[in-house]
This record gives sequence, C-alpha cells and structure tokens, in this order.
Amino acid sequence: MSRKIVSLLLAALLLIGCLPALAEEAVTVVDMHDREITLTEPVTRIVAMQPSDCEILCAIGCEDALVGIGQYCDYPASITSLPVVQSGAETNVEEILALEPQVVLMNDMSQSEEQVKQLEENGVKVVVSKATDIEGVYYAIRMIGALMGKQDAAEAVVADMQATFDDIRAKVQDEGKTVYFEVSPLQYGLWTAGKGTFMDELAGICGLTNAFDDVDDWASISEEQVIARDPDYIVTITMYFGEGPLPVDEILAREGWQDMKAVKNGQVFNASDSNALSRPGPRLKDAAVELYNFVYGEAGEVAPAA
Amino acid sequence: MNDARSLRRERFAPVTYALLTAGLLLTMVLCVCVGSVPITLSDTVTAVWNALWGLPIPQNIAKNIILNVRLPRVLCVALAGASLSLCGAAMQGLLRNPLADGSTIGVSSGAALGAVIAMAAGITLPGSGYGGVMLTAMAFAFGSLVLILSLAYALDRSLATNSIILIGVIFTMFISSIISLVVTFASEHTRSLNFWTLGSFSGVNYDQAKLLGLALLVCGSVILRYSHELNAFAVGEDNARHIGVNVKRVKLIILITISALIGVCVSISGTVSFVGLVMPHIARMLVGPNHRRLLPAALFAGAIFLLLADLAARTLFSPIELSIGVVTSLVGAVAFVIIFYRTRKAG
Amino acid sequence: MLKAEHITVRYGEHTVVDDVSFQLREGQWLMLAGPNGAGKSTLIEAIAQGVPYAGRIEWEGQDLRSMKSAQLARRIGVLSQKNAVGYAYSVEEVVGLGRYAYRQGFLSGRRGEDRDCVDQALEMTGLQDLRRASMLTLSGGETQRAFLAQVFAQDPRVLILDEPANHLDLNYQQQIFSLIRDWLKRPGRAVLSVVHDLSLARRYGTHAVLMDRGRCVAQGETEAVMTPDNLNGVYGMDVAAWLGGLLSQWQ
Repeated sequence: MSRKIVSLLLAALLLIGCLPALAEEAVTVVDMHDREITLTEPVTRIVAMQPSDCEILCAIGCEDALVGIGQYCDYPASITSLPVVQSGAETNVEEILALEPQVVLMNDMSQSEEQVKQLEENGVKVVVSKATDIEGVYYAIRMIGALMGKQDAAEAVVADMQATFDDIRAKVQDEGKTVYFEVSPLQYGLWTAGKGTFMDELAGICGLTNAFDDVDDWASISEEQVIARDPDYIVTITMYFGEGPLPVDEILAREGWQDMKAVKNGQVFNASDSNALSRPGPRLKDAAVELYNFVYGEAGEVAPAA
Repeated sequence: MNDARSLRRERFAPVTYALLTAGLLLTMVLCVCVGSVPITLSDTVTAVWNALWGLPIPQNIAKNIILNVRLPRVLCVALAGASLSLCGAAMQGLLRNPLADGSTIGVSSGAALGAVIAMAAGITLPGSGYGGVMLTAMAFAFGSLVLILSLAYALDRSLATNSIILIGVIFTMFISSIISLVVTFASEHTRSLNFWTLGSFSGVNYDQAKLLGLALLVCGSVILRYSHELNAFAVGEDNARHIGVNVKRVKLIILITISALIGVCVSISGTVSFVGLVMPHIARMLVGPNHRRLLPAALFAGAIFLLLADLAARTLFSPIELSIGVVTSLVGAVAFVIIFYRTRKAG
Repeated sequence: MLKAEHITVRYGEHTVVDDVSFQLREGQWLMLAGPNGAGKSTLIEAIAQGVPYAGRIEWEGQDLRSMKSAQLARRIGVLSQKNAVGYAYSVEEVVGLGRYAYRQGFLSGRRGEDRDCVDQALEMTGLQDLRRASMLTLSGGETQRAFLAQVFAQDPRVLILDEPANHLDLNYQQQIFSLIRDWLKRPGRAVLSVVHDLSLARRYGTHAVLMDRGRCVAQGETEAVMTPDNLNGVYGMDVAAWLGGLLSQWQ
C-alpha cells in the first residue's frame, strides 16, 4: 500500500517534472527499505554500489551524475574508469565522502548500520535499492528517476521493458515445456537458479517452466535430478574464456546426459551475457528477447530492443 | 595378576576385517541404490550387472543416472575416504600426535592453494590437462607440510604437544585467505571458494576414480610397507632411531607419500575435513594402535564414513546438494569431541 | 669396541661437549658422571648418532657415521631417560619393536628367533604377566622395564643407558641395576651409562668418565676417577662428607 502512495507521489512528481520552472523543487522518495528520503533538489552527484543501479542511471541518461561505483559495476564499459568505493563487504566511507555525492544508492545487506549513519551524519543521503522481481525493478527505475529529476526518462525505460515483455507474452503460450538454468557448470558442482530469481521470472514470460522451481534462489543441485527432470531446454550462463570446449559443447558431451531431451534435440544455449539474466536492471528485457529467440527460433522475431 | 589390564583385541582381528569388508560392500550397495532420484532396485541391479558383464544395457534413465552419475561418484568417494583416512592414520603415527590430520596440519589447504594457483595460472601438463593441477597440488601439499613441521620443530622438538596443531590452524587460515584472494581475481578459471574449503564430489567421473584408485594403490602400498616404522614412530621418534629406523629417510618417504595422496584427493574433491582425523581413532578403537592392523582398518573405516557422509549430502535436502564438508564436519566434530573426551578420561 | 675421539657438540654458540675422548672395551661398565649440565646426555646422544658432532666415533675401527641405522642398532642399544607411549600399544608390541633391526625385507613376519628374543627379554625383566597389557596402564617402573626389555630384545653389543633408574622406587632401582649387571656377564658386551647417583656409579661401574661443563675432568678405573679431590672440584662441595653423612644415619 505504501507502493500505491508512492506511485501517486511519483505521478505527482512526474507532473512537476513536466514544468521546467519547478524542476528545482524538493524531491521526496520512499526507498526500497520503506524509508522516506527528502532532498532539496534533484541529485547531481551520486554514488551507486550495485551494477544494476549503475545500469539504470545510465539508461535514464544520468551517466554524468555518477561519480563513484561498486566493485562489480562494469556496464556500460564507460563507467569502469570511475573510482571504486566498495569491494565485497568493505565500504570505503572516506572515499565516498571525498567524492561529495548527495546520494549513495546501495543494497542494504552489504552495508552496516554504522556506515549508513556515518554517511548520513555527513550530509549524504542513503537510498536503498533492492529489487528481487521485475516489479521491483520498475520501482527502482522510477525511484532513481525521481531522485535524478528524470521521471519521464524513467517512465520510458519502464514502458519499453513492459512492452517487450508483453510482446513476448502475447506470442507464446505455455506448452508445459521446462527449462534448466545452469549457473555453475558440472566441473565446479552444479548450481541452478530456482524460484525467486530473474531467470525463473523470464522463463515464465517466455512460456516456460523452470525445471527447478521447487528450490529457492541459486542452489547447488544434484546431477541425478537434472537427468531425471529431463528439461526441454538448457540455458547455461557459463562464460567462455577461450580454453577447453565451448560451454554448450561441454554439456552436449556429458556422460549420462546424452538421452536428455534438450541434449538430443540440441536445445542447449549459452547466454551471451550472464549479467543481463541476473541483474535487476533494464537489460532484463534483452535477456528475455534472447531467451525467446533461443526457444522459438528465428521465426518469431521480436521488435528489436530500443 | 594383571588380567584386567590385558588387551584382547588381536585375537578378533580376522572377524573385525570380515565385518569391515562386509560393511564397506553393504555401504557401497546402499549408496548406489539410494540417491536424489529414486530408481527401482531391479533397474539398478540390471544396469550394474549388465555393465559389469558387458551385456547390452536397457536404455532407460537408470542407465544414465546409475552408471554415469552415481557409480563413479560412489567409487570416488570410497577411494578418497580410504585415502584421507589412511593419510590421517599415518600422520598420527608418524608425528605421534592423535590430533594430526591433513586438515588440522594445513596440508589439505596447502594442496588446495596449489590447485587453485595452477588453475588460475593455467599450468597444464602436455597430454593431460588436469595433471598440472594435480602435480602442483602435490608439491604445495609437501611444501606446506615441510614448512609447518619445521616451524613446529623450532617451537617444540617432540611435536607431541599441540603447538603443531596450532601452527596448522593458523597456517590454514592464512592459506584460506590467499585462496579466496586468488579465487576473487581469477574466478573464471578456478572452482568456487566453497568447493575448496568444504569439498564436493559433484560431477566426478570414472577417469577421476581411476586416478584416485591408482594413487591409493601406489601411495597406500608405500604407507602399508612402512607400518613397522610407523609403529616405532608412534612409540617415539627417539626410540625409533634407537632401534635402528632410518628416521630421516623413512619420515621423508612417508611425508612425500602422504602429500601426494592428499594432493590427488584435494584436486579432485576439494578439502574434506575430519575424515582423516576421526576415522583413524575409530579404527584404533577397533583394532588397536598397531599400524599393521590399524592402517587397513582405517582404509575401510574412512571409505564407509565418507560414503555415508556423501549419501547424506546427496539426499538429505534433495534436489539441493550439500557440500560434503558440511556433513563430515558436523558429524566429525561431534564424534571427535566424544572420542577426545573418552580417551582423556581413560588416561 | 667403541672408541670416541675429540667429540665436540655445539648448540649454536654454546659448546655442550668439548673435546671428549674415551674408549669402551668388552666387559666394562663405563659410568659418565658429573653435575647437571656437564654434557653427559648430549655425549650419549652423539654416540647414538642423534645429534651432529665433530670428532670421530669408531666401532672396531669403523666410523659410526658410515653405518646404516639398522647396522648401528644391532651393535648399540640405547635406553633413554624418559620414555612415554602415546598410544595403547601392548608391552609385547613395544618389546617386539626391539627386533626391528633384524627384519629382513618386505613381508617378513615375526620369525621364531625374534619371538624367542622377545620372550627372553620379557622374562628377564619380569614382564611375562604384563605382555598383553596396554603401555598406557603401566606404572613408571613398569614402563621403564618394558623399554629395558626392548633394548634387551634388540640384543646389542653395547648398552647405552641414560639414567636407567631415574624416578624409580628403590627395589626397581636395584632390580634394574642387577639386570644390567647380569646382562653384562655374557662375553662381548659392554655398558655405557649416565648415573646421577655417585654411590650407584661406584658400586656398579668398572670405569668412569668424570665430566664438568662439557669437558672431561678425569677418566679411568672407577676408584681412580671417583676420588674426593676430583669430585669435590667438580661439584664444588665436600662430596664424600655429604654422602658419608647420609649413609651413617643407617648404621
């Protein structure tokens, strides 16, 4: 219900955003930790710890406002030259303060109370962004848009994503086909993405059922189970580094997998970018298109991503 | 007059061995028949039986799961369990320290570091891709063993006290942090940190089983060949020298053998702790401290224990698999506390 | 049989044994005497090839350094000062280890000869009843006797003993010294021992080496070495008066 209030608020902000004269007005958002944050003006300097938030900022045209990033932020490539203020569980508060941002975007699980307090005492607002499903991603995009005074750009990104997903949904029908997502290959111990992951949600959009929708999140699973569940499609997100067999060929050659439907029919696919499939950002749309193209082939062309 | 103090176990040795062999066979059968995916006993038996005699195997799911997933895994687990337990028993005798084991002394983590570095740096042997990793793991295992022992010697020449364990624990922590560093910077090349610290037999194949079998055959016979010397070391290193054991040479050979065997195990399954620590104790309770009986008993006990631990890891939360180290540490730590308490009380 | 020439042992800067020479002949019981820190135990360790040393130790003309471990063990047996067993070995197993140096090749089991030696050693030390007992259940005296039995089973020509009766009750002390004297009676044998108790040294020793701070002060037949002059100088007190005073209480 607080979401409803926020959407109303956002709608109001959107209206305000349309009036250039009022652009310098105060900004209020409710972050994803249900905290209300008020700023006297839209943000011009921001630090984002998570790759997805960086992607959102760039997608709404705020790359110039981004002054600091976290360890794994690597997309688009142009941001990688920015100062890195966080690695693993370590946040360099001093470095953040030195960058003089108005706002730090972070996922609350990586930060301690003390660090948040320390930042806020020094006049830096902390905004929590932690999307766990596609609805959450929309919320995060709108929230960041409001922070940056770019509500319309944010709405456009959300609308584009929704349009792509709706387009795919409209073309497919659930035929009860299953897909197995391989997050970590056999030689490193099998891991898959279960319920509550973006891959699971994307499979649903493409009319597929996740073969492991009975496990939560990413989980180490038994090889026997993969063979027994015999999925129609296999999607691996293993990256290829130029040594050994290609990830797809490696799966096709596995002992005991040769009689599986996906292997027999050659329905094994290596996602071109594992991050697009797992990051709560605008590129989920690209991942959905890629998954659709893999499952339904060239025949079902989807409008190319904007 | 002293009947109450006399030991009577030697007489029962053949019975003990028969029981251990039967136990191992039963456990292996159990582990092949039970798994994450239920498969009927008749399908299982048919698949294994026909494969054994080269008969055509019915094309069904049992064939793929039993023959390609479960059987190689059961073989690897049994061989690794036997190897780790044998190494633990040999180390406890050699160093005359009942707390010694690959994981407590830091040899396993040394081997893991070697394997991680070899993977990250892409060290390979011509002809076999994995040989480089294995050899580096062996070399690192031996290197860490030598390093830890010389550090411990500098502190306390007898090695009997727990200073060596203390150094081993500190060394393990140190090495773990280096491993996590390497894994962080070369994550695309090596297995996950979880694998190296907790171990896993997921995805093992017959080639690895053959390799483990060969390593156990070679290293195991060397260790068994030195059971007299291990007895002498277990009584006391000075005593061993006095009765004519070539202390330096024997020690070097045994340490190299142990390092090689642990290196092979770690590069295949990561560090699986507590097997080598607890199982020799159980074996000692069964057959006594004489290594001529203790080493074979430890082989069986280690294999049985690890098979059961892996069975638990595979089936407890199916379809999710646990790291085998979670199970061995959980069971092993409790068992160890009990054993330690009992032996302390017994004197 | 055994000839040591210019033995020097250093631990870093510290010289523990300084240029000591002596000879051990058949039938002799050579006592190493001297106060704490004189270097007696270190000298014994050097002879047993347990510590690096400068100088030369010969067995009938052959340098001990060139001997294989088992070869050495068949000639020289050592009974250490303190022996403790960590695991529950039986007495018989520990005594049987004494036969290690006679093992032939890989799969040899225990030969009859080995068994006889072990039985004999157990009998000599009065441990037949305890042969199946765990070492962990033995008293200090029993443990020491078990290791003495081990060194008897080893059947060496020279027995080297470091405080064999330390911490033992008087009756065990007497027992062990008589056992060793009996052992020495057979031809071709000799004993070298460190003994703290000067009365025991005088009573059982045929010869003696008196040491002080790593150096040899006097050596020769016991009576010639253990003179009041020599002892008083080494111990810095009137030894004879003290020991005599102790003894006179019993008369």
